[in-house]
Amino acid sequence: MAGLALASGIYIASRREQKNTADLRLWTFAKPHADAYIKMLPDFERKHPNKRIDVQIVAGEAVTSRLQAAFWSNLDVPDLVEVEISWAGSFFRGRLESIGFRDLTERIHQTGLWERIVQARFAPYTTRGRIFGIPHDVHPVMLAYRRDLVEKLRIDVDAIRTWDEFVEIGRRVTIPGKRFMMELPPAGVSSFEVMLFQRDGGYFDAQGNCTLDNEIAVQTMRYYVPLVAGKHRIGNDLGGGQIFTRALEDGYYLFMVAPDWRTKVIEQDVPKVGGRMALMPLPAFTPGGRRTSTWGGTMIGITKRCADPELAWELIMHLYLNKEALAQQFRNTNILPPARDLWDHPAYDEPRPFWSHQPLGRLYASLAPQTPPQYTSPYISLAKAKLSEALIACVDYYNRYGERGFDGFVRQQMERAAAEVRRQMRRNPYLHENA
Amino acid sequence: MKTPDLSAETVATQPRRKRPHRGDKIAPYLFVAPFLILFLVFGAYPLIKSVILAFYITSGPRDQVFVGLENFRFLFTDPDFWKAVRNTVMYTVWSLALQVPLGLGLAILLNSRWVKGREFFRLAFFSPNLVGQVFVGVLFSVLFVPQYGLVNRFLHATVGTPLDMRWLAEPSLVMPALVLTSLWMYVGMHMVYFLAGLQTVERELYEAATIDGANSWGQFWHVTLPGIRHVLIFVVIISTIGSFQLFELPWVMLGRSPGPDGAGLTIVMYLYINGYVSGDLGYASAVGWTLALGLLVVSLLQLRLSGAWKE
Repeated sequence: MAGLALASGIYIASRREQKNTADLRLWTFAKPHADAYIKMLPDFERKHPNKRIDVQIVAGEAVTSRLQAAFWSNLDVPDLVEVEISWAGSFFRGRLESIGFRDLTERIHQTGLWERIVQARFAPYTTRGRIFGIPHDVHPVMLAYRRDLVEKLRIDVDAIRTWDEFVEIGRRVTIPGKRFMMELPPAGVSSFEVMLFQRDGGYFDAQGNCTLDNEIAVQTMRYYVPLVAGKHRIGNDLGGGQIFTRALEDGYYLFMVAPDWRTKVIEQDVPKVGGRMALMPLPAFTPGGRRTSTWGGTMIGITKRCADPELAWELIMHLYLNKEALAQQFRNTNILPPARDLWDHPAYDEPRPFWSHQPLGRLYASLAPQTPPQYTSPYISLAKAKLSEALIACVDYYNRYGERGFDGFVRQQMERAAAEVRRQMRRNPYLHENA
Repeated sequence: MKTPDLSAETVATQPRRKRPHRGDKIAPYLFVAPFLILFLVFGAYPLIKSVILAFYITSGPRDQVFVGLENFRFLFTDPDFWKAVRNTVMYTVWSLALQVPLGLGLAILLNSRWVKGREFFRLAFFSPNLVGQVFVGVLFSVLFVPQYGLVNRFLHATVGTPLDMRWLAEPSLVMPALVLTSLWMYVGMHMVYFLAGLQTVERELYEAATIDGANSWGQFWHVTLPGIRHVLIFVVIISTIGSFQLFELPWVMLGRSPGPDGAGLTIVMYLYINGYVSGDLGYASAVGWTLALGLLVVSLLQLRLSGAWKE
């Protein structure tokens, strides 16, 4: 055994570490992104002879846990990394100088990127006034619906302007247990936060203060809960994946929240409903109000270990601002790029047979400038968990007591949730340094 | 009293002791060195480091601020920690209350000579334990799906429960779902331990009990249980420790989250979230040591209450 251990030890020690020959390494967690980038690389490599780029797909969880561990341990990290929006905040917990990504604030302003990109999209990748990532997308939100069923039920979607009108129709057509007006989770916060952002609310403000107990959040909770609880509820949620497929095929939901990326998920996962689906803007909370919101997102950052940040920046510009390539990427992913000047490409006007021949790109692009910001914090996961707890408590209360004392209960729950987030934030000695 | 024979002849016939060679002195240390080095690097150092870390607030290993006992003070006033403790204890109690008697019952059943195909059933009941918690978590998260899941379909058909019971999204149903899943996974393992114990109980004791007029219950109570007492104590202790360390099963079943209203939050999940999601390794160390000490106390209590301590 000792001999074996010795021999293998000598072998490992003597083995030369496989040298990475790429000049830049990029990690992404999304295969559609990687596929698109690989197609765009030959152009970039032609412009930069003798430079080789390596695009690697890494599981979403691994991007965060492995990258975080690598930053902490000063180990080998890639030069560029795409990070999912809900995880971005976790990289911003420590001192500004300890953040593993390069501060891109000056570069973004100097190159005019600040003006070109929907500015709200920088918010999730900003901490203490410094920007550490370039947004990959805008992810405006619309409502996707089963056009065939909606027409059968004689619902005129063009006449729906506000949530109140939408809810009124929902109460008429919902048959609990069989058919719901909308996919709305009573325990998860995904759809709730879409409504919260639509009303200019959020988990945190631009300064990173928790805003879960402000009036917008309280009123949104007050509005949302009766949609998923009580006798007159119009929404339910069964889950994702195959269950969502079955539910949509069976007409269990008529409407669902659909950011641009989700339209592709629906196309791929529920092909049977192709040609029978359509999109409409979100109803507004007040007549003439905002008709969209946002859900999800991705940033790309340059790590501090990157030996050639100039080349990395050029690569980002190539991948994120190449009009032709991004138009093709849009055809494959339905994801609208973040720079406004790219949206005049004909690809965004193409009618999509799956979506009843609607011009999907133009619909999203017309709403994208109104996309609200979603500010982040290292405590975003905690805030989401606390909001979820508040939502569950409010749903439970509403199911038991209805409207009696509901206002006070909602306020109390939201204050409790916010207090808990603030209590945790107060422990962090780094968060208010360099603020 | 016999005196030692120290005559010159006796001494001369004894083999002469060699003076220890220098190499002989080093050899034992060389033999224990591989273990010792590995233990020091991967065992002792992390343990000591984690004790030190427990007194710091950290953001990764480089940003550290000494806070004394603050982590422990915060821990004991954090409602999420107490929720994790409550969930873990509840899971442990339910798991023990169901898994141990069921495992024992199955073992007794499959130890009987009149059951045909015993070997097959032993393998069948044990096999869920071979696949690991992640696989089981994925499998059961599909079975528990509302509207279309097998569990809801079965319950709807047999007891008339609604089809859209949200096992993994309704706080009050999360714990029953976890307990049921772990039941499927671990009963077979306990059965194997009990089977091994049952086979050591002497047949003569049963014959003697029968002659003394003991019925089946009497035999079980006065012969079987005392005969497998040590196995029973062992199973209870390892089940308790395993239950307190629960992490992968709820983490996978609840979509890498503590579930609705934190209904699936366990102590180890709480530790993981604080250490690896929030990045506070110091606080996570404090949680880890609190869990370790808690487990030690519970195990000692179990040993004492079962009487095994005295033996």
